[in-house]
Amino acid sequence: MTLNSDALTVIIVDDHSIFRSGLRAELDSDLEVVAEAPNVDDAIALITELKPRVVLLDVHLPGGRGGGGAEVLTRSAPSCPATVFLALSVSDAAEDVVRVIRAGARGYITKSTSGAEVSQAVRRVADGDAVFSPKLAGFVLDAFGAAAGETAQIQDELDRLSAREQEVMRLIARGYSYKEAAAELFISVKTVETHVSAVLRKLQFSSRHELTAWALERKIL
Amino acid sequence: MIRPRVRIVGGVCAGLAQNTGLPVALVRSIIVMLSAAGGAGVALYAWLWATTPTADGSIPHRRAGQILQPPAPGVEASPGSLGDAAVGSSSPERSAWTRLPITEILLGFALLSIGFALFARGIGIDVSLAVVVPLVVVSAGVGLSWRQFGSAAQGGSNSFIRGLGALILVALGILLFFVTIENLNVWTVVMAAFAVLLGVAVVVAPWLVRLNRDLLDERAARVRDIERAEIASHLHDSVLQSLALIQQKSDVHSDVARIARAQERELREWLFGRDKNFATGANSSSSRKTGASNTDAYNTNIADQIRRIAIAIEADHAARFDVVVVGASPDGGYETLVAAARESMLNAARHAGGTVSVFLEAGPKLIEISVVDRGSGFDLDDIPEDRQGVRESILGRMDRAGGTARISRGPGGVGTEIRLQQPLHPSTKTEERNPS
Repeated sequence: MTLNSDALTVIIVDDHSIFRSGLRAELDSDLEVVAEAPNVDDAIALITELKPRVVLLDVHLPGGRGGGGAEVLTRSAPSCPATVFLALSVSDAAEDVVRVIRAGARGYITKSTSGAEVSQAVRRVADGDAVFSPKLAGFVLDAFGAAAGETAQIQDELDRLSAREQEVMRLIARGYSYKEAAAELFISVKTVETHVSAVLRKLQFSSRHELTAWALERKIL
Repeated sequence: MIRPRVRIVGGVCAGLAQNTGLPVALVRSIIVMLSAAGGAGVALYAWLWATTPTADGSIPHRRAGQILQPPAPGVEASPGSLGDAAVGSSSPERSAWTRLPITEILLGFALLSIGFALFARGIGIDVSLAVVVPLVVVSAGVGLSWRQFGSAAQGGSNSFIRGLGALILVALGILLFFVTIENLNVWTVVMAAFAVLLGVAVVVAPWLVRLNRDLLDERAARVRDIERAEIASHLHDSVLQSLALIQQKSDVHSDVARIARAQERELREWLFGRDKNFATGANSSSSRKTGASNTDAYNTNIADQIRRIAIAIEADHAARFDVVVVGASPDGGYETLVAAARESMLNAARHAGGTVSVFLEAGPKLIEISVVDRGSGFDLDDIPEDRQGVRESILGRMDRAGGTARISRGPGGVGTEIRLQQPLHPSTKTEERNPS
């Protein structure tokens, strides 16, 4: 828990004003939306100026150099290291997901997620945890060859998931929450969060070539 | 000058008479007399036939490809064989470049050369054939190639061959011109080589120009396509947003939510629809056609079958399926597994509703499907013996197919979780993975 968790500052970056206002109205009251940005340039300016705790970031954005959400991330992250980014998109295309996660987003949720769930996800990333939707978990299992039976032999291996990480990912893909997954595996929620964070790190730093190949060939649906 | 459609041979004399105001009989007589004088009349006739358009001047699609065989007078040419496609009256989209009657001028020049040579011989002047023959060949070659390359865009390999023929004709003519000269020396050889190169350049130039233009056109078209795709993707994004919003704002059980959900799925399938052969990395635009041809259940990817079942059930029940697929699921087969999964999903939609998570994992040895709902859950022992739904259609079915089914409480003791496991049959696994 962070010190200012009772007033969590949030910036919503999305090019659809209806969605922005809708999300703003739906977010829990303890989340303070300090700004909204409709494009890459405004987003970078606002984020670097206001330094919010969390940025809710759409993947597809106009403006800038055409890099969309990933560009906002790479260009504004260095100036505000305390800010965390949560990608929020209608796109299920794997290349979008991988691009924005690789750029440093702490999680990826789809826009059909309810306001309460988004609020929960915001709090979770603000606490330093990763947020995985079932679809992202499924993609991770796919991309790291878990379905084909590949398992990391050492914990730190970047290109494969450990047996435990696979179990956690499978449960998340099945629709389990962190708490439910923890109960199922007889481990603490914190341990589940640790596993998820480890997976996110692998997703960000793995040089596994399939990751890019998968992203291009396959779509998460 | 225009040739009438009603004609005796080629309509040339009639046309000429009309043009000059002289009586037709007189024109015909002159032509015949000229023909007698060394054949010059024949040549003139042929040239005029080739170059003048017919009265209605139409049939523009017929290219004068038959120009290689100059029509001998006396042979009734098919209408529109030559002059009809005269470049002067061609369709306006052709550039001014090709609209110049260069073909006609050159061919006419070739024919005239023959005519005058014959005429000169006839009256006793000695004209060296060594000059006339190459000249004729070169003119014919260049003229022909001009026409060929002009229409090369429409032509197939045929026009390429004819173009090549024209090229050879030109080179041959030029070489002939120099070879037949009496005193050969180094300079004539150099000149000959240079002339051949020049001739080839002249012949190839229109083709290159056309090629370049086609390339530019194609590039422009591609840019337009990309632009259109960008606009479309933005539009789709907006529509998906709206649909997501509608689902968020409305009750899961409402018709509005159901319609929005169905629409979103449809659009999503269309946008991100996967190819059966996803290993080829086919883009989303081409996946539509496989989606249309996937009606055959035996050849349809199991994941696609499950997705389709989800859509069908969503249309009738107040439930939302979250389908997550992992691994390369086999194409076709496993009807029992799919049927059991369908029963499980239907059960969840009917009794629990809300969001139902469906997870399909195709491993190297096993396919597993889990259906998790958040409903009130049920205990298998509580179901009366006479209710065969679950017991028969899920458990019994999987059992007979050599798989297993497990029904338990859902995550955190809420709802129901049904797990179906089916070992892969080794033969189909390797065949149907479809690696290409």
